[in-house]
Amino acid sequence: MATETDSATDGSADTEGTGAGEIEARVGLRYTLRQVKRDTTARIGIYTVGAITLVALLASIDYYVFDYGVAEMIWYSPVQDPEQVRRLLPPVGMENQYGQGTLEHPMGTDHRGRDIFGRLFYGTRIAITVGFMATAIGLVGGTLIGAVSGYYGGWIDDVLQRVTETIYAIPFLVLVIAFMTAFGRDLSFAMIGVGITSIPVFNRLIRSRVVSVREEDYIEAARAAGVKDRNIILRHVIPNSFAPVLVQATLQIGVSILIVAGLSFLGFGAQPPTPSWGQMLSASRNYMLPAPTFSLFPGIAILITVIGFNILGDGLQDALDPRINN
Amino acid sequence: MGLLRYTLWRLAQAIPVLIGIITITFFLANQIPGDPVEIMLGPSPAQEQVEAIRARYGLDRPAYQRFLTYLAGVATGDLGQSIYYDRPVLEMILLRLPVTLYLTVSAFIFAIVTAIPLGVISAKRRNKPADHVSRIVSLIGVSTPSFWIGLMLIIVFAFYLGWFPARGLPLPWASPADIRGAETQLQVVRTSLYHLAMPMVALGTLQMAQITRIERSSMVESLQGEYVKLARAYGVSESKIVRKHAFQVAQLPVITIVGLGLSTALGGAVLTETVFEIQGMGRLIITAINNQDYELIMGTTFMFGVAFVIGVIITDVAYAYIDPRVAYGDES
Repeated sequence: MATETDSATDGSADTEGTGAGEIEARVGLRYTLRQVKRDTTARIGIYTVGAITLVALLASIDYYVFDYGVAEMIWYSPVQDPEQVRRLLPPVGMENQYGQGTLEHPMGTDHRGRDIFGRLFYGTRIAITVGFMATAIGLVGGTLIGAVSGYYGGWIDDVLQRVTETIYAIPFLVLVIAFMTAFGRDLSFAMIGVGITSIPVFNRLIRSRVVSVREEDYIEAARAAGVKDRNIILRHVIPNSFAPVLVQATLQIGVSILIVAGLSFLGFGAQPPTPSWGQMLSASRNYMLPAPTFSLFPGIAILITVIGFNILGDGLQDALDPRINN
Repeated sequence: MGLLRYTLWRLAQAIPVLIGIITITFFLANQIPGDPVEIMLGPSPAQEQVEAIRARYGLDRPAYQRFLTYLAGVATGDLGQSIYYDRPVLEMILLRLPVTLYLTVSAFIFAIVTAIPLGVISAKRRNKPADHVSRIVSLIGVSTPSFWIGLMLIIVFAFYLGWFPARGLPLPWASPADIRGAETQLQVVRTSLYHLAMPMVALGTLQMAQITRIERSSMVESLQGEYVKLARAYGVSESKIVRKHAFQVAQLPVITIVGLGLSTALGGAVLTETVFEIQGMGRLIITAINNQDYELIMGTTFMFGVAFVIGVIITDVAYAYIDPRVAYGDES
């Protein structure tokens, strides 16, 4: 299976050939942070992702604690229709058939007169939550399956790999749509669905690492010393795959955000009036001619967010790949 | 000989995967809440009518029996009956599948034709301006939602410039009688290509970006190979080295990524077809879901799986063709 072996090495930082002593020093969180600080690309990624996450955090606090109270106090509610409806206004300094853009609504208003900038701001919450949660589900599921599968081998390996292969064999957007039709159309099922479809990615990554790590001397030693299999997997095998998994997870957050935006665009995911970027784009389709900027901004928001995660992922990969450092 | 046997072996391997896909789709379709019969007959239908419909579509039997019947049906090419369209599921799929394949294959051709030169130039001029431009383009490409590219293309090229039509995708081999404003087959092809341009770019951009990235890193690696050093030492010209020696070897990972990209592209086709209102498989599955048409949902999901599995087999065989070690190694 040419497809399998090659994609596995795709995101993995290969620690082979650096000597056993160095391998110990090249794993773990502290090492990662030190490397990331040195790498410019990774730093840009960190700042972008950090800024977006901060926005998402502020939006979440306002949503969960104050129920959009802060937004209403200093600005407009992103969910309620405004009293004075000024629908489809263009951004500042532009003009369309519905009027002229004002500073009050820097990016204009949508088809119900709600401020687009405000809705984008609060849509960050959905995107970030979904990106992290879906990736977490895929990461935990894929790591467990991959580690068990690779460590034990034999029929356990066969069964688990056939199952994940089958999941992988259905184009994932189609699979998530079918999954959400069966269980529920709201956002939590979007997260679970996208999470499940990313299990094969992490499974493959971890499994290939485990298969190579399994034969290492220190694993043999741990086994000889009577350490339980579960502890060997959790304490030795998984930490040794930290770098490539971190890179893959970062990239996967971006992918998840894209998929969930696509799902919302099709009507699967956050339901109106909750502001989400994909759903804003879906609504904007009916107004592309009179108000093209309505379609423009949500897409840019998605683009910037996903680029942030991709730059961070690329930067991490460069920072953690010894082949490039040497 | 090795290649043929390898192909057959890969096809045989696909059978359990296909059965797995059917199992998953059947399980999911069974979980769908609501009653398709109600949707078909409207609220409060007569009891006998409901029973008759249930018996006709086999909905009155237990799940495992229906599963086995369905499995046997698929094996003989019977995907069941679409309740919504009142036609065989396979007939609907065969009507829509060519459109989606036309779109997806074109998107990949667009992606490969643009990505390979970009990646090669990028690798050749590593860390020079051309490389930076190509890397930024591919970074944006992997980070942009395809449906948003579609919306932007429609706004600019359909609404403002009026160069391309915003909706629909007639097939190039459609009869001229069915296409408005076309009298000859050539005009049909022309109309079809005009309709194809924007969806193709929207769907192909992500693939283009991914292939560019792989092509670049693979070429960089290949250009550092021993055989390249040897060719240089022999005084072979640099352009010939890139064209003949480094390029071929570097294409192996690219083939793999094309195979894996099929999954994204087929899923992306659902979005692209929605944006451009193209009547393909993507719209079919959404229609099926919105009308709770069980058998059509199962059939379309299964067909998406089949398309992907066949695509992966084709790329695997192509891989084995370029690198014969794969075919011989796996046989033992």
